[in-house]
Amino acid sequence: MRPVRVYYNKVGKLKYISHLDINRVMLRMIRKAHINVWFTEGFNQHPYINFALPLSLGFESTSEAVDMRINDDMTDDEILKRLSEVAPEGMKITSVCEPVKKFSEIAFADFAITIRGDLSDKLNEFLAKPEILVDKKTKKGGVKQIDLKEKIVKYNVSKANGNTRLDITLPAGTQENINPNLILNAFCDDLSVESIIRTTIYDSEMKIFA
Amino acid sequence: MELSDILLKVQKPARYIGGEQGAVIKDKSKVDVRFAFCFADSYEVGMSHLGMKILYSVANSLDWAWCERVFAPWEDMETEMRKNNIPLYALESGDKLSDFDIIGFTVPYEMCYTNILNCLDLGGVPVHAKERNGLKNLVIAGGPCTCNPEPLVDFVDLFLLGEGEELLPELLELYREHKKLGSDKQTFLKSAAKLEGVYVPSLYTVSYNGDGTVAEITPADGAPKTIRKRIIADLDKCHYPDNFVVPYLDIVHDRAVEEIYRGCIRGCRFCQAGYIYRPVREKSAEVANQQAKCLCENTGYDDLSLLSLSTSDYSQIDELLAKMLPWTEKQKIGLQLPSLRIDNFTDELLEKVASVRKSGLTFAPEAGTQRLRDAINKNVTEQNVLDTCKVAFEGGYSAVKLYFMMGLPTETMEDIAGIADLAQKVIDLYYSLENRPKGKGVTVSISCATFIPKPFTPFQFEPQNDFNQIEEKQKHLRDCIKSRKISVSLHNAGTSLIEAVLARGDRRVGEVIYTAWKKGCKFDGWDEYFDFEKWKEAFNECGVTPDFYAYRKREYDEIMPWEHIDLGISKKFLARQDQLAHKSISTPNCRQKCAGCGATVFGEGICCETC
Ligand code: SF4
Repeated sequence: MRPVRVYYNKVGKLKYISHLDINRVMLRMIRKAHINVWFTEGFNQHPYINFALPLSLGFESTSEAVDMRINDDMTDDEILKRLSEVAPEGMKITSVCEPVKKFSEIAFADFAITIRGDLSDKLNEFLAKPEILVDKKTKKGGVKQIDLKEKIVKYNVSKANGNTRLDITLPAGTQENINPNLILNAFCDDLSVESIIRTTIYDSEMKIFA
Repeated sequence: MELSDILLKVQKPARYIGGEQGAVIKDKSKVDVRFAFCFADSYEVGMSHLGMKILYSVANSLDWAWCERVFAPWEDMETEMRKNNIPLYALESGDKLSDFDIIGFTVPYEMCYTNILNCLDLGGVPVHAKERNGLKNLVIAGGPCTCNPEPLVDFVDLFLLGEGEELLPELLELYREHKKLGSDKQTFLKSAAKLEGVYVPSLYTVSYNGDGTVAEITPADGAPKTIRKRIIADLDKCHYPDNFVVPYLDIVHDRAVEEIYRGCIRGCRFCQAGYIYRPVREKSAEVANQQAKCLCENTGYDDLSLLSLSTSDYSQIDELLAKMLPWTEKQKIGLQLPSLRIDNFTDELLEKVASVRKSGLTFAPEAGTQRLRDAINKNVTEQNVLDTCKVAFEGGYSAVKLYFMMGLPTETMEDIAGIADLAQKVIDLYYSLENRPKGKGVTVSISCATFIPKPFTPFQFEPQNDFNQIEEKQKHLRDCIKSRKISVSLHNAGTSLIEAVLARGDRRVGEVIYTAWKKGCKFDGWDEYFDFEKWKEAFNECGVTPDFYAYRKREYDEIMPWEHIDLGISKKFLARQDQLAHKSISTPNCRQKCAGCGATVFGEGICCETC
């Protein structure tokens, strides 16, 4: 038995598919591809697969990852080929390799956001403010005020074909997670957002996660 | 707002995007006939429906036709669509309903009638057949409820009766020819009426007697006096999908489904399915096994369910399980055998099922006393129920669900008390067992549906119980229950009345459906949407009394609104069966002895083995 990590993109219409549903999609892909994955033992046996980070409904991503364990000696290339053959439209398997770090070490992520219309000046002005206070729901069901500004690792606003593009790096992971929608909503509550793509994930030292 | 923005505002956007694996995509410029196959309920319900999967696959096997799926949007989505002028569209192409040549509805239950109107309207298609003048946007319908199509004739241009695997391609082919010729709608309809199994309601006129009953149903333009349903002679040779559209969402039945036979040998007198799918025809174990294997392979499902009206009546069940268990076990595929009957639920079968998946135990004795079970021809004894419960309890089960009906013909208060008695006996049995599950209490849940008389059953002549009778019986049932381990759930009386009217309604009920829909009725099958007050207003405004349809006893010689529909079940047989019910005499099943229902006219299946 050996562990493998599968990287994939989730784009296009798949942005409407929830994280839970993607879990089922992946299980069916593994079956169709005849990949001999390890099952959990015990009463309710099921294939063991473990996803890196949940992705909000409506987001696309070019940095998704899922771990599984392989019972036989199928090569990484073979796994990539077979999964690619059965992947739905919008899911591209980008690489298969041995995991290095644990998913719990993921700490930051890059997001590429396209907002319809040219709002670049306003957005720059907004993001340049010394603090951006918002209410955030806590896990216990309460509300606490946080300053988004201090959470932003870096950002860049640019113009793209009459639209506004925001590239932003935010905390993402089990320790702390800032949804970019928090920032967009604080900026303006009826923005017309064309797309939000999670492009890269990093560990706590801002090294690209592998 | 664009569709893509709306999708992020509604619940479960995956309902509305298509693109599922197994969905069939064709080039619309290269097909001759575009067919929108609609299921007038939510995506999750519709996508669980086997009939739709079969016909989707059949229609798409024709390279000149493209069949796409349409479901009723949920309320939040409908609101956004109407607000933003987005018409209802098919999931494969995203094209609006009004772009389609043929718009077909499968109609599995009466409570979706208002949704049919709503779907047409949302799709930009006039709901009334007479307002659709061209050949385009032809609205067709089929499925179990259309055995009495009359309440829907204002809206539907033609009905396909019986099984569609052969008839649907024939109809599409005929449409294709007429479309090429540039025929008008009337010409096409007249020629379609010549296909066996096609009912074109506009070619028939109905007259009524002074008392409101049907006087005469008269065909015109050479349409047949009676229209006989179609059946598939040999299920082994019949098209069965080798792949399903596999949804992203978790739907009601999210699994591979293998149909093992059609029809039912039992003939429970309240059960429409037991009559309208006759004669019983089995698929061979060999073919069923192959098809199931192929489906699991292509869909990637890890759950497989065998489908029929009563799994354990399948004569090759042991053979089939012997073939299926090795590969399903090896591939860790869960095998489910629903619709098991109590009376031939052997220990061995129970063990096989239990070894695969342990779920709750459900039985449908339907009636509380042996007298009434004989009257409704439900050949299950109290001993059957208790024996099976014993095996199940000893095997670790401790929860039992019992399904009953209330308001059955010939029912008395004694029969109602019998429901509570039976539940109590199950409880007593549990505590009498030495080796019952340790440390667990038993629970018995009783579910009581109001009986609804349906066309093409022996009880089609019978009145439904009115609200007062049902209320009294419900109260009596509650009074008879002594144990807190027994829970009861009862059904909405208003829903049952509307369903009863729609089931046995005639052409005059169409206006009521339209009026109710105009008032906002939709998703009537969902308790949270059903609005009895609006339906009552609709009846009032149309001058139609629901009592006439629901609570009236029909004479055996009364002309039924569906008298011209021929399902191969003779009315004399149904009348005879109703008389036997009143004498509490049961009828042997088709395998034991042919009861002479009339299905021999098809010259197929079990009837030819036993007659
Ligand atoms: S003709 Fe006889 S055997 Fe055939 S379905 Fe009817 S009762 Fe059963």
